[in-house]
Amino acid sequence: MAILDVSDLSVRYAGTGREVLRGVSFSVDAHEFVAIIGPSGAGKSTLIRCINRLVEPRGGRIVLYGEDVMAMTARRLRRARRHIGMIFQEFNLVNRMSVMDNVLSGRLGYVGTLPSVFKLFPKADIRRALEILDRVGLSDHVDKRADRLSGGQRQRVGIARALMQDPKLLLVDEPTSSLDPKISREVMGLIRGIAREFDVPVLCNIHDVQLATEFATKIIGLQDGIKIFEGPTAALDRKKLDEIYAMEVL
Amino acid sequence: MNALALRIEAVAAGRARRRRRGLALAGLVALLAIVSAHTVLVVDTDWERMGSLGAVMKSVARFLAVDFSLIPQLWEPVLETFMMACIGTLVGAILCIPVIWLGALNVTPSRWIGYPFGRFLMTMSRSIHEIVWALIFVSAVGLGSLAGILALAMRSIGFIAKITAEAIENVDPKPIEAIKAVGGSKLQVLRYGIMPQVLPVVLGTIIFEWDINIRRSAIMGLVGAGGLGLTFHRQMVMFNWPGVTTVILAILVLIVIGEIASHYVRKAVT
Repeated sequence: MAILDVSDLSVRYAGTGREVLRGVSFSVDAHEFVAIIGPSGAGKSTLIRCINRLVEPRGGRIVLYGEDVMAMTARRLRRARRHIGMIFQEFNLVNRMSVMDNVLSGRLGYVGTLPSVFKLFPKADIRRALEILDRVGLSDHVDKRADRLSGGQRQRVGIARALMQDPKLLLVDEPTSSLDPKISREVMGLIRGIAREFDVPVLCNIHDVQLATEFATKIIGLQDGIKIFEGPTAALDRKKLDEIYAMEVL
Repeated sequence: MNALALRIEAVAAGRARRRRRGLALAGLVALLAIVSAHTVLVVDTDWERMGSLGAVMKSVARFLAVDFSLIPQLWEPVLETFMMACIGTLVGAILCIPVIWLGALNVTPSRWIGYPFGRFLMTMSRSIHEIVWALIFVSAVGLGSLAGILALAMRSIGFIAKITAEAIENVDPKPIEAIKAVGGSKLQVLRYGIMPQVLPVVLGTIIFEWDINIRRSAIMGLVGAGGLGLTFHRQMVMFNWPGVTTVILAILVLIVIGEIASHYVRKAVT
């Protein structure tokens, strides 16, 4: 059964009127790790941001766990977002807050606004945050400020924050672009590991084809806003790759 | 003439033109200075009454003494001046909040009405002199330090609000995106995405404004709005010149203390 079902998605930028996505359809099933590959400017980041409507699509349908995301009111959308974990290229941490506060911010959709203003989170959340920080290997950095950590450690904080949400889907946007190759592989391994442990499907943008084929179970190839490939990782051959990256080869 | 000679001519002519323009501007500034000096110094100054150079020096020398008998009476106005500055800054910082909300482009509820109105309030607060604010509040709430506190608060809004609004406009959008993505409400975006980023700047600005408010507070009494200014004024009208010097020294000490405190507190928050 498809957890996420996207059909005929199109996005046009308000400023230039350029069509960033044109009629993209795909689905993500339970237990899947889907990688979206394609040259820069193909619309990968936009596609991922449509799923939780950080970018408003112009047309199409997004169905997540049987619910129409595009039809949601602002209030309903916030409730849906709290179950969609997101991991970012540049980590998007609150630099001046501690690692613990950053991880706890993953619970903001669950706690009341007034307690959250005073950074009041239930003990259960703090306990869970400590467990998750242990899992991602940051137990020694709980009270450090986020900007005191290295790139790889900061991305682990980002992953921990997403896990705090009890996500039913993980959206991952170029998680390794700000990291060196060795750390990149570690971070990808960690994402795959937690996805299996917590049984969350992953939709991940990644321009590094090697990492994509190594970690994903399914690949979506995007070029200039159009989906030109969708299939299991094994089905992605040399010819298909050349097609997806045609513009870069030239 | 060949092409190079033509170019040399053109460059030389351009340089001469710019030199002439520079000279003309310098001449204009000199003329303005001379006219101003003439009207203010020659026409407006009562040279007859000033007397000889010796008389001027003698008048100045009257201030070169300290009236120690005044010191016991100074404690209360010094404390009042200091507290006026503290409360005035605090009230100003609180009154800032709605002005910032209106006047920061990325949080304003309305770009076409709220934003210009917020900016107008900031400019108004700064363009009206603190003494003028004090005169307004003395006539509104009567003599005393309350008028001074309100004047300082009104005068403080502009600077704190302007700096804070600009800090909010230049905030890094990435953490904001993350807070939205976890399902955060508008208030949570403000608290987690924006506030941690601007807080050091805001606190630094408030402390800086507090430092300046100690200075302003010291002269509020000149128009009856409490503090050391009133003592100063009294010594002046009693022709107690050493007393005037004593009050000035008290103000100086207070300001130096404020400056030292503000230096260390600012360091601690940023």
